[in-house]
Amino acid sequence: MKYLALLTGPEDIGQSRLFWAVFVLLVVNFLAGPLWMSEFEASNVSYYLLNLPMALGLCLLWGYCGVLSFGQVAYFGIAGYLYGIIAGNMRGDPWGPLLGEVGGLAACAVVSAIFGYFMFYARVQRWIVPILTLVLALLLETFLGQTAGYQWRVGSVQLGGYNGMTGIPWFQLGDLTFFGYSFYYYVVLVVLVSYLGCRALVNSHHGKVMLAMREDPLRTELLGYDIRARQLAVFVIAGVLAGLSGLLYVQWGNYITPSQLGLVQAALPVIWVAVGGRSKLLAVAISAYALNWITYSLSSAGNQYALVIIGGLLVAVMLFFPDGIVVTLARNMNRQALARLFRRG
Amino acid sequence: MTTHSIVRTSALEKRFGGIVATQDVDLDIPEGELRCIIGPNGAGKSTLFALLCGIHAPDSGNIFLKDRDITALPSFRRVRLGLGLTFQTNRAFHELTVRQNLEAPFRLPQGGRSSTSEKRYQYALSTFGLDMTSDVPARELPHHRLQWLEIAMVLAGGPDVLLLDEPTAGLSPEETLQTARVLRHLNDDGLTIIVVEHDIAFVREVAERVTVLHQGAIFAEGTVADITAHDDVRRIYLGQA
Amino acid sequence: MEEFSLVISVAYQFGTNAAFLLLCALGLIVILGMMNIINLAHGELMMMGAYTASLSYQAGLPFPLCVAVSFLVVGFVGAVFERLVVRRFYGRELSALVVTWGISLLLSQGTLMVFGPFLPSIPIPGGSLDVGAYSLSVYWLILIAVSIAVVVALAWLYNRTTFGLHARATMQDAAMARALGVNTGRIYMLTFSLGAGLAGFSGALLAPTASIMPFMGQQFVAPAFITVVVGGAANVIAGAVGSSVLLSLVRTPVGFYLGAFLGLVALLLAALIIIRLMPNGVSAALQRWSDRRAQSH
Ligand SMILES: Nc1ncnc2c1ncn2[C@@H]1O[C@H](COP(=O)(O)OP(=O)(O)O)[C@@H](O)[C@H]1O
Ligand SMILES: [Mg+2]
Repeated sequence: MKYLALLTGPEDIGQSRLFWAVFVLLVVNFLAGPLWMSEFEASNVSYYLLNLPMALGLCLLWGYCGVLSFGQVAYFGIAGYLYGIIAGNMRGDPWGPLLGEVGGLAACAVVSAIFGYFMFYARVQRWIVPILTLVLALLLETFLGQTAGYQWRVGSVQLGGYNGMTGIPWFQLGDLTFFGYSFYYYVVLVVLVSYLGCRALVNSHHGKVMLAMREDPLRTELLGYDIRARQLAVFVIAGVLAGLSGLLYVQWGNYITPSQLGLVQAALPVIWVAVGGRSKLLAVAISAYALNWITYSLSSAGNQYALVIIGGLLVAVMLFFPDGIVVTLARNMNRQALARLFRRG
Repeated sequence: MTTHSIVRTSALEKRFGGIVATQDVDLDIPEGELRCIIGPNGAGKSTLFALLCGIHAPDSGNIFLKDRDITALPSFRRVRLGLGLTFQTNRAFHELTVRQNLEAPFRLPQGGRSSTSEKRYQYALSTFGLDMTSDVPARELPHHRLQWLEIAMVLAGGPDVLLLDEPTAGLSPEETLQTARVLRHLNDDGLTIIVVEHDIAFVREVAERVTVLHQGAIFAEGTVADITAHDDVRRIYLGQA
Repeated sequence: MEEFSLVISVAYQFGTNAAFLLLCALGLIVILGMMNIINLAHGELMMMGAYTASLSYQAGLPFPLCVAVSFLVVGFVGAVFERLVVRRFYGRELSALVVTWGISLLLSQGTLMVFGPFLPSIPIPGGSLDVGAYSLSVYWLILIAVSIAVVVALAWLYNRTTFGLHARATMQDAAMARALGVNTGRIYMLTFSLGAGLAGFSGALLAPTASIMPFMGQQFVAPAFITVVVGGAANVIAGAVGSSVLLSLVRTPVGFYLGAFLGLVALLLAALIIIRLMPNGVSAALQRWSDRRAQSH
């Protein structure tokens, strides 16, 4: 009962019975997807979904905690590359990929903890965090970009410079290898657990403290909280969630290139979060899914305007819907006939 | 009647660039007292509170809480040791709801507040008429309720010493009186309170002893009657526009 | 003679590093100091400077004039952005960061679509100078001199002109400055425009040393960001100079022995350590130090 209250608490969109009914229907819809989707379509849907953990992590950090990061792709890349290295070197071992996942996520946690320590324990001003995190991502991109030579390999795996790392193994648990439909189910599960986990976090007592820190860090500290440690904790969680997306990405496409850590990719999570509305997890999940779908369709149709559209969308949203499109819509719905969908039950 | 000091400073000094904001302050607050600090604008009252809470680090001197030297501790540790502060400009979380404001304060991991502090907190909630379950954003509250909300938030943490920086600024006479009554009651219940205040009527209503700050230093100290009869105190107050 | 030329060469390396950081960061730090906003489109404004320089160079203008044109053109573009977009975000620093990033995406992608993947490069003016076994580029020596001149010019602007007086007043307390009749909106616009103009100016100056492409700004932003983070916002000029000098002290030896990339990594590590020691940057530390000295006298 206590755990259920964490999920239905007030800090995200949707508390009513009707909302949860729709939510369950949606999940069932995803689970039943393979009944009418081809493996190819299922793979595309996996792609739209796999960025959600990174988006949700940034939402926790920026929307709930007031700490903005521009470098979430750094953790995406760290986890992806490390998974490639570990699983690639343990090819044939049925537990190699799992070890790769653990290693990748652990590296994200360690790097974000060290990096965050220097920033939060120095109590730097707010604008410094996004700038330094972006610099970290850019440096990693630069480093990986110049690893083209044969000497740049770890064990049997080539880093590959700007051509990227190829032939990264599928995810595997013992004899069970995840690709096609099974990979799709695995992604749906990971995303669902990430979302519900984040939702429980923001409704927990720590979640209330996050909101307080976002509003006024000094007032919060003077209520007795070690805001340095709490900001660091959320920063690490967001880093690990970004790493989770990186894992899913390399397991989906079996490759990764340094441009996944570049300036353009770094902008995308910020755009998903800003467009949906940073203050609500569900809004961010919806916009991340929709925008990944749109950009994927645009760019696979060879549309060179994809990034201009995305950049323009960001500027327009910041100007005209500063709270985000989905959040604004949900708030307006509250007042109208559709109110019952999202109102407290 | 205990006379053991709960908050004490020795030779406290703080400069901002060329400005001396606090100078040679030896404050000694016995446990259970309600002390008023008065002084003209710029006298260094808020700075003194900021030093006590660790918002600023002093250039020299020491601060003791319950005989423990807390000069080098970060703010949150001081709060956990029993300090609580409201700011001169209201800093309840204006964009959050009343409920969120009241849920945010720190609770000790082992089972929350002690029964005394829980009693004080509940008393403040009910006398101030604050609704724990209200989903109204704090910014929509009238000013006096915002002030009371911030006091209640601080009490929720269960402090042993309450520092209030001009809690009645902008309040009507009735609201001021109400605030004074609550503070009196809390103090009678054993809570130590230090309050910065301009309103002499309020000071008369609540205080036992008064400390006068002037240009960063302690200028005079005594009972309300002593202080209001003090010629020099009148002079520095009348001296300013 | 051997030692002498080594010293000259090290000094030259150090000077080019400091000048590079200073040129990259000046436009950014001018805006940061005034409005507490990091302009994420800074790299793209530098790119626009390089493009303007390349186009006017092809049109037959002498290079110094191209640089001046870049300053004016990009400064104007900056003023337009400030009017249309940035001005709505004052006081919301994180949102301002995000919106300027959107602008940066639009600028680089737009440039790609309009001008294609690259423009003709500008040949490096000046030859080289031999000192013992080392050869120094005359152009970089000029850049060192130019960056010193820009710093002096900025110091003059802030300390000796009415604009500077109003700007410093606005920086300290915008509400108070407004009450005293300063048109702070105009100050903000001019400052943003000045910052953008400086970015264009630096982009033009660095154009001969780089390939002129829509995404060329990216190579400048990491060093620029690190420099402003270390510099802080307390005092624009002291921060920029102090931080670029400090950082080149780190970058020169590391870059010399371990290569350019590790030089950049060393910058990031140095930045992390420096902010841990001085959270508000070199400029605030310098300020405190000079306050102390003033007191003891
Ligand atoms: N953060 C600060 N930076 C610089 N000067 C300050 C700062 N805080 C306070 N001061 C100065 O210190 C002096 C004391 O201020 P304050 O403690 O706010 O006085 P009071 O609360 O008694 O009105 C004033 O001259 C004020 O200008
Ligand atoms: Mg005050």
